[in-house]
Amino acid sequence: MPPTRALRRAVTDENAENVGSTRLTRAKAAALDTVVAGEPPKKALTAKRTTTAPSNGTIAGRKRTALGDVSNVVKKEPTENVDGKKDTLGKSGLLKASKPTGIQKQAPARTNSTRTVLGSKAANATSSELKRPASGSGVAGHITKKRNTSASKPAALDDESSENVPPPKNGSNGSFKLEKSKTKSRPSIEEVFDDEAGPSWEEVVKDAKDLDEEDMDDPLMVAEYVHEIFEYMQELEITTQPNPDYMDNQNELEWKMRGILVDWLLEVHTRFRLLPETLFLAVNIIDRFLSSKVVQLDRLQLVGVTAMFIASKYEEVLSPHVQNFVHVADDGFTEAEILSAERFVLAALDYDLSYPNPMNFLRRISKADNYDIQTRTLGKYLLEIGCLDHRFIKHPPSLVAASAMYLARLAMDRGEWDATLSKYAGYTEQQIQPVFKLMVEYLAGPVLHDAFFRKYASKKFLKASIVLRQWAKKWASTYLESPPATTSSSGKKTPRS
Amino acid sequence: MDKRHPSSFQQLEKLGEGTYATVFKGRNGQTGQFVALKEIHLDSEEGTPSTAIREISLMKELKHENIVSLYDVIHTENKLMLVFEYMDKDLKKYMDSYTSPATVAGTSPRGALDAVTIKSFMWQLMRGIAFCHDNRVLHRDLKPQNLLINTQGQLKLADFGLARAFGIPVNTFSNEVVTLWYRAPDVLLGSRTYNTSIDIWSAGCIMAEMFTGRPLFPGTTNEDQLLKIFRLMGTPSERSWPLISSFPEYKTNWPVCPTRELRAFLPQIDHMGLQLLAQMLQMRPEMRCSAQTALQHPWFAEHNARHAQQQQGPGGYAAAQGMQQGTGGQQQGQQQRAF
Repeated sequence: MPPTRALRRAVTDENAENVGSTRLTRAKAAALDTVVAGEPPKKALTAKRTTTAPSNGTIAGRKRTALGDVSNVVKKEPTENVDGKKDTLGKSGLLKASKPTGIQKQAPARTNSTRTVLGSKAANATSSELKRPASGSGVAGHITKKRNTSASKPAALDDESSENVPPPKNGSNGSFKLEKSKTKSRPSIEEVFDDEAGPSWEEVVKDAKDLDEEDMDDPLMVAEYVHEIFEYMQELEITTQPNPDYMDNQNELEWKMRGILVDWLLEVHTRFRLLPETLFLAVNIIDRFLSSKVVQLDRLQLVGVTAMFIASKYEEVLSPHVQNFVHVADDGFTEAEILSAERFVLAALDYDLSYPNPMNFLRRISKADNYDIQTRTLGKYLLEIGCLDHRFIKHPPSLVAASAMYLARLAMDRGEWDATLSKYAGYTEQQIQPVFKLMVEYLAGPVLHDAFFRKYASKKFLKASIVLRQWAKKWASTYLESPPATTSSSGKKTPRS
Repeated sequence: MDKRHPSSFQQLEKLGEGTYATVFKGRNGQTGQFVALKEIHLDSEEGTPSTAIREISLMKELKHENIVSLYDVIHTENKLMLVFEYMDKDLKKYMDSYTSPATVAGTSPRGALDAVTIKSFMWQLMRGIAFCHDNRVLHRDLKPQNLLINTQGQLKLADFGLARAFGIPVNTFSNEVVTLWYRAPDVLLGSRTYNTSIDIWSAGCIMAEMFTGRPLFPGTTNEDQLLKIFRLMGTPSERSWPLISSFPEYKTNWPVCPTRELRAFLPQIDHMGLQLLAQMLQMRPEMRCSAQTALQHPWFAEHNARHAQQQQGPGGYAAAQGMQQGTGGQQQGQQQRAF
């Protein structure tokens, strides 16, 4: 036998000793199973909400100092909803206590960190209500405008409308159908575009340059496989797409909580110095898991941590130990719980981690603009918006990447979206518009994801979040009001940033 | 939650043991079908091993006749069991137990396969590799022990424990990949930015081994492995390999060996076969041919023609299967010629 690799040798072949923890795990597994699969009726939930446990403030107080990142995130949230938040804590504590399931034993500690990050559905509704009038500093104008646009839909007046304004009808609603059919069967692009104004992708890229030739000497570009690989990734982005409306099936969760969770995971991701790919995969794992399982609010953070744990195992050369994940979650759950959740999540996803990472698409497009580092840095920030804002879930990663690069180039005044860019992005300027507008909306709106904003406010990232926010404040109205750009001249009226 | 239980498979004899898994022959209790059960022990500390997560996820994607099929995954709290299609033996055992007509005649050493079988195996191996690469997967551990052969003479890639999906440009990966003897020189030199070409180097080593019955470069350490390669392929220099001095493991005191002709130490291989092998065993990764290119090589002309025929007529498939079956048996040389 040839000598074996050190890598394999390092993997120990243990597991005999811990009968105790094993048993614990089984219990946890069962518990998690019930928790996730069981669907607590919404009625019951509402009923519980009405009572407030007085003891809860104490629990919260006890734990708060230790919450670290988690509580910071929350604290930075607009201060108006302090009341709402207290409420949340109280209510959720009660909610917890009234649920006699197996996992409840360790509830106090765990609940709290989770709770603080993610308030209960009811409380959130209140808090955002409170927030709405006060949130607009200089941005209020835009928001109001936006809301007016969508005000034609009377039903949109729930808590979501302040956090996540439903995309303007002309934009996304139409486009969703469009991309779906487009990516499902690429050949049918033309037929889809018959009823759209723009020229077809095939038509646009006729004159595109072939940039892959020059890569034939660069082994890292695997130029000989590049076409097959991207074709394959375009299939995968459909098969690994989460249900964009999964929140409808969740009883205790709402989109805002997902945003808070991802914002927090982003901090964890930075702290562990993980690859960009890991974050995107983790978010995809969360969304696909939540598409198939109903999750209780107090388990949401566990789902997030577990997703990050799995994603690092898949992507990283050296992934952080499970203990590190327990630590960042402030001992909100045990190692055994994470390991048990890992099995459960993997099984729920049917072990399919084939999600085509958006970074691949971003780099591919970057090739068509000579790997301009500034554009790509802004592009990365914009691409991550796709992780934080749930409205991007329904758009395939390749389109989000295309929009990110499109917007970045616009903000940097890098010229028009020509045939070569269309070719390497896989989308024409026309096709990009709906997602582009979503991004502009996000940028022009209030800062919802604080950790995210701060991360990209650093010099290392060329202050992308600040620069793009300024850009959006100046130009959002232009891009959001005007009908979809019909000429590529939009690139020229670009502002300085 | 899981209706599937380890107990639904009858565990038969042990087929092999790796560092993190044990493989048993098994029988499906309901269908009676033979399967291979790969039992992975779960680390109580770290849970599901990353190797297992990647292997399962990737094997679910890679459905191809030259890649072993993963039927099922059974995950309990202390072990993970992967249910694979059953294959008779791995290429290593196949070679060990093989007596070719040439061996009988005393013209070929034990363990060497006959040319017809080798070509069929190589064709299937390259098809499997090409499929992986098309689907952005690097196997990273190709060796005879990881190529499985069934009684029909089919060859399939197995053990994707070290495999991973790559992006473009290819990310940097761990340097601790591929069993030493089949490890490409760029990886031995410390490269972390290797790509699909590392699988091609391994395939080249395997091809030579099938002809001789012995591993081509049986090194003992990283350093020794490099020297064994240099002794046959010549010691590389900045002139033959620009920027080689920038590799972490580059040494200025390597003994200088001249480049030798493959023909000199692999006289068993026909001219065209050597041509192909030379393209696979290129020291510089960017010079190695791709699996797709290898498949287009005239050495495989017959196989490609036969394959094209199969694709056409529905009747062609069974006939061609029969033809493939021939390669599995001991006398397949004659059988094939009879066709």
